[in-house]
Amino acid sequence: MTSPLTGSASGDLNVNYNGTKKEMFGLAFKTGMLTIVTFGIYRFWQKTRLRRYIWSRANVGGDTFEYTGTGLEKLLGFLVAIVFLAVYLGIIQMVLFFFGMNIMVDPENASPAQVIGQILAIYISFFAVLPFLLFAVYRARRYKLARTRWRGIRFAMEKGAWGYVWRAIGHGLLTLVTLGIMLPRQTYYLEKYMTDRSHFGSAKFEQTGEWKKLYPAMKHIAIGLVILVGAVAAGVSGSGALAGILGFVGYVWLIIGSIYYSVHSFKYLTNNKTLEDVRFNADPSTGTVISKAILGAIIITAIMAAAALIFGLVMGLFGAFAQEGGSPVILIFIGLVGYLTLLVLAQALSLVFITQPILAHYIDTLTVLNPDGLNMIHQREADSNLDADGFADALDIGGAI
Amino acid sequence: MQETQAVFFDGKTAGRIPVTVSLGPDRLALFITGDGLPEPLRWPLGELRGLHSDGAKHQVILTLRQEGDDELARHTARLVLEDTVAKEWLLTTRPDLFRKDVPKGTMKKIAKFTGMAVGATVLMLFVILPAMANTLAAIIPIEREVAFGKTVVAQIARVFGGVGIDELTCQGEEGQIALQVMVDRLTENQDMTYTISSRVFDHPMVNAFAAPGGQVVVMKGLIDSADSPDEVAAVLAHEIGHVESRDATRNALRSSGSAGLLTMLIGDFTGGAVMAILGEQLLSASYTREAEGQADEFALEMLQNANVSADGMARFFELLDETYGESALPAYLSTHPVTLERAQRARDFAETQSATSPVISDSQWQSLKQICD
Repeated sequence: MTSPLTGSASGDLNVNYNGTKKEMFGLAFKTGMLTIVTFGIYRFWQKTRLRRYIWSRANVGGDTFEYTGTGLEKLLGFLVAIVFLAVYLGIIQMVLFFFGMNIMVDPENASPAQVIGQILAIYISFFAVLPFLLFAVYRARRYKLARTRWRGIRFAMEKGAWGYVWRAIGHGLLTLVTLGIMLPRQTYYLEKYMTDRSHFGSAKFEQTGEWKKLYPAMKHIAIGLVILVGAVAAGVSGSGALAGILGFVGYVWLIIGSIYYSVHSFKYLTNNKTLEDVRFNADPSTGTVISKAILGAIIITAIMAAAALIFGLVMGLFGAFAQEGGSPVILIFIGLVGYLTLLVLAQALSLVFITQPILAHYIDTLTVLNPDGLNMIHQREADSNLDADGFADALDIGGAI
Repeated sequence: MQETQAVFFDGKTAGRIPVTVSLGPDRLALFITGDGLPEPLRWPLGELRGLHSDGAKHQVILTLRQEGDDELARHTARLVLEDTVAKEWLLTTRPDLFRKDVPKGTMKKIAKFTGMAVGATVLMLFVILPAMANTLAAIIPIEREVAFGKTVVAQIARVFGGVGIDELTCQGEEGQIALQVMVDRLTENQDMTYTISSRVFDHPMVNAFAAPGGQVVVMKGLIDSADSPDEVAAVLAHEIGHVESRDATRNALRSSGSAGLLTMLIGDFTGGAVMAILGEQLLSASYTREAEGQADEFALEMLQNANVSADGMARFFELLDETYGESALPAYLSTHPVTLERAQRARDFAETQSATSPVISDSQWQSLKQICD
């Protein structure tokens, strides 16, 4: 680690992450339990504290990031979102359910068209919230940037959530209609929309490059799809075993391919971002991301299995006690507490063994090039016009951090 | 405190400024000097604040308290200290270092926003959604309700038996006739909106339910535990009461709105789904308790019109009380009102009845008991 006292002499700045498993677990588990006992209210402070930890453990050339968001503003943002969404969602959901009911058909003698209509009616309620989901995505990123500082200087993102909403819907439809061929275009332009509105102090970020350059990142998705087409062809021509094998290989290839796409599109997009004269170099590896995820999943499974076993034994013990005249309420209570504790444990472990290692890999493989321009950047005003993740939290898209 | 090296960010530009920090001669302030600073800075100890990092202990970052636009109520300048001696000295001598400075009016703001959110939610859950559910339940065409009810019954069959309706429905012909006779006798003197379609599910649970559109299902366990056909008739009458007042339809509509709202309210924290389900349980319990009382009254009237004694109803409630009475679940969690009270109500009602007869004959009762064999 570079000491902040010496800094880096000259040239590129390395970006590092040095969070530890122990600290992260302690924080995640403690705040998770606090969230449970406060019936969820503490979650705004939990998210704040987790971010504060992660930001303080990431540094560019030895200078750490600072997260200045507060739990209180998240709570207030959430309350505002509730007022709006309670009315909108409650009514929309019920009206849609009513129409779903109205085209409900007798399951015993329905035509396929009627069944499809019914399924559509059920899924249409998702589209009623989709604009707000996308709205929340933009707002959440804007809030995160506005509450991040480095070397004391604020990041920021301009207003523009509704512009993002209709662009995201348009690009999404185009990708859908072209069966995914336009996915790079969607990825590129949506990222460009957000990047071009981002600032660090007085300096503005810009997304350069072109969307067609993202096609190489799609190659493993394409291979996976070709194998799956082969599987279907084999199935049609009657060789079931071959179809099964190809189907499995194609499926796995497709999953790995989509991880490859997310890693390599991130790499291309980052390498083509500019902050005035400052440039970036990202070099994450798909293999590392996948192996960290698999290793993490194995460790988590093992720990959770052991924890569940202990929980089962305790429950068995209390079950025997309840049979001898103890109150079943105690048993139900212990069961609920144990179950919720296991959930908190699982969340903490997934932060420790999956989220943090992968995040660390992305951060450690990042370099800031030509950083001299950074010294010239000036402070900007605080941005108070934020919903502080309120919509994201209300619509369940925030995640732990 | 010893003189120590540190890094200073002035909060105006992103340049890093190496500085020397020392305690002033009056021991009331930190003095910050360096070539990059236009003039030495004096930071009063009382105004010093440390930044929370939640665990990252390799450094301490200092700033000053300051009211204003800043989201943290802090000065934008930062002083980064890595010297462990200086850090220890600060942490021990400045107990206020990590103090939160809550801006004035914060509590008022929280109260106002909470009030608005709670108001909107309560208004939705207890006024707007139930009213909408009532209206919509009244205008939905009956044939749609019947189709919806069949889907619901099919789903329940899948939940209880993991099979289709036909596999779980008991097929004994004589038993089905007996059940139909029972339904006919209950409904013949009644103004009915729905045609009741009843069936028995081969499941040991002591339960019965009404799906939208006239679908009534009795579980085999209920027939097994009943001592007389009148007890089953009482349950049937109660469920028919739910059908006629469209309770299931209304409840499905209402919970389609409120379930989404509750999930949103409780949010995406770990364990949130459990809380949301509990919340929806509590909420629907408060609605169904009222509906249960009304269905009881409907059932008593129906039994009266059919000349069937309400004693069966009383006995059934007493049986429920004996079986489940000791489970210490609080009454408000249960969707059914306290059963002994309901038993007493039925017992009182039965005393006013005269010229009653068993709802079906003994031989029909025997067939009904064997409907699943």
